[in-house]
Amino acid sequence: MALKYIYSDPEVLIMEAETRKNPIHLFVIILISIVILAAIAFAVYYGIMEMMSPSKKMAEISAKYGSANYEKLKLPKNITSDSTFLSLFKEQAYLQSKVLMAETDSVYLTLNMSERMINIEISGIVVHSAPINEIEASKIITNGDEFVITSLLSSPLTIVSDTSSIAKIPIILKIAPKDTSEFKPDAIPDTAFYEPVNYIFETDRGIKIIVYQSEEIKHGDSKDLFLFDLRHRLISTKAALKEIAAFKVPEYQPYIKIKIPSADAKIIYRAIPKHGQIAVFL
Amino acid sequence: MENENDKNEGMLREDENTGVDRTLNDNTDISSSKSPLTTPPMKEKGISFLLRYLLMVFALLLTFILLFAFVLYLAPNLQEISSGRKSKISASSEFKKDADYKKQIVRMSKEIQRLSRKYSTYTSGQSYIVINTTDNKFFLYKNKMLVREGLCSSGANKMLQTEKKTYLFKTPKGKFSITGKRKHPYWHRSDWDFIEQGLPVPPKDHPSRWEEGVLGDYALDLVDGYMIHGTIYKRLMGMPVTHGCVRLGDKDLEIVFNTLNIGSKVYIF
Repeated sequence: MALKYIYSDPEVLIMEAETRKNPIHLFVIILISIVILAAIAFAVYYGIMEMMSPSKKMAEISAKYGSANYEKLKLPKNITSDSTFLSLFKEQAYLQSKVLMAETDSVYLTLNMSERMINIEISGIVVHSAPINEIEASKIITNGDEFVITSLLSSPLTIVSDTSSIAKIPIILKIAPKDTSEFKPDAIPDTAFYEPVNYIFETDRGIKIIVYQSEEIKHGDSKDLFLFDLRHRLISTKAALKEIAAFKVPEYQPYIKIKIPSADAKIIYRAIPKHGQIAVFL
Repeated sequence: MENENDKNEGMLREDENTGVDRTLNDNTDISSSKSPLTTPPMKEKGISFLLRYLLMVFALLLTFILLFAFVLYLAPNLQEISSGRKSKISASSEFKKDADYKKQIVRMSKEIQRLSRKYSTYTSGQSYIVINTTDNKFFLYKNKMLVREGLCSSGANKMLQTEKKTYLFKTPKGKFSITGKRKHPYWHRSDWDFIEQGLPVPPKDHPSRWEEGVLGDYALDLVDGYMIHGTIYKRLMGMPVTHGCVRLGDKDLEIVFNTLNIGSKVYIF
């Protein structure tokens, strides 16, 4: 009876009557419903595809590095799950990477997740060290097959691109004066200048090294940080959408996220070449 | 107001009593009814329509915002949820007795020793200097021990643009060697020094190119004209102000000059 009363509400009856009389109104309602349903369906599809991507990546890494290394090293059966072997294998892989990088005259990074240290090195000399205050990594790095992940990291990672909140080289442009009357002496640099330091290195093996300053961001920097984060997310999402639109599982990018003091983060970012190398010890 | 409600209810009850279900009667044109209760004024009707459309637009916008947030923020976290279980690691003592296993462990231990030895050979036992161009600091090492540290000045990262040429004043990074050492050095002014001051550029061997005292008491040559030298602009120490060379304070320069030899390594980052 109550239901009938509601349905009999004159206002509702008027709306229904108007809807019946106005086909455009009805069309808009149907269209909006379709759009909302399509959005939900897309979100579900996108979510499933995204969830499938780590397994796909792990299978790829396993096939490319794990199996290859297993055959190359002619390892006995089941040894790849032995703790002693894995510990030695990790050490060997890290040293191999460091030796390879030390043979060049360039600046490179060594990231020791176990000791929570990040070093800038040149030809085997540690020229700068920074403590890692916080560390977080993708589950396929922390929980995945250690033999496979260590095999992946047994040679240095090369930076292919980066996104940063600071300039790599803070260049000051000066137009040459035409004569002495136009000459102006340079301004003294502001060494107290503060800027939040956050950056992401994309490496050749698809691993992202994310470096954030450990200090709390100052008032007014949150917008910059949000935009920095959004820009990076948009780049990743654009790539994922392209794959998903073609009904392919998107490329998963494992990450290592560290928080270090901003002064050290700035030194590291400015020191490492555009296509510098990084050795990682798990 | 109460009377109106009573009337309305009375009307509905009447409909119920007469057995006519108005909701099911498609031919009933309610909007054309002349009752003040069933025909709201045009203004109210307009507002109601507007609100309904706004609600639809809001629903649509909300859908897109939620979809955007899902794709950008939630979906990457879903990847981590699905990233799997921790891999199994064993430490079985039975397995450790296997000859192949033992052979492999010995082989790996030897390889680690070899790599460690190789890596330690890169660490110079000689004196060397490390220059941090971001903080403008130097660190002098002797027998792998830090013997002095202090402020220096490195490249300003300034780009000087002329109509014909562009100069970039920055300190190169990487590993270098001391290629020459000079006391009381003269400075041979480069073209850019004249251009920067708006002066005409003289010929290469012109006497105005030579200047005494501006490089301090000592200069240590690196590569391509880059040097470690002194300065008359001592108040700028610790700032990025040079044309690419590394400037040191007088006392620091003297110690660095006396510690480093030709061939000593200079690490700049």
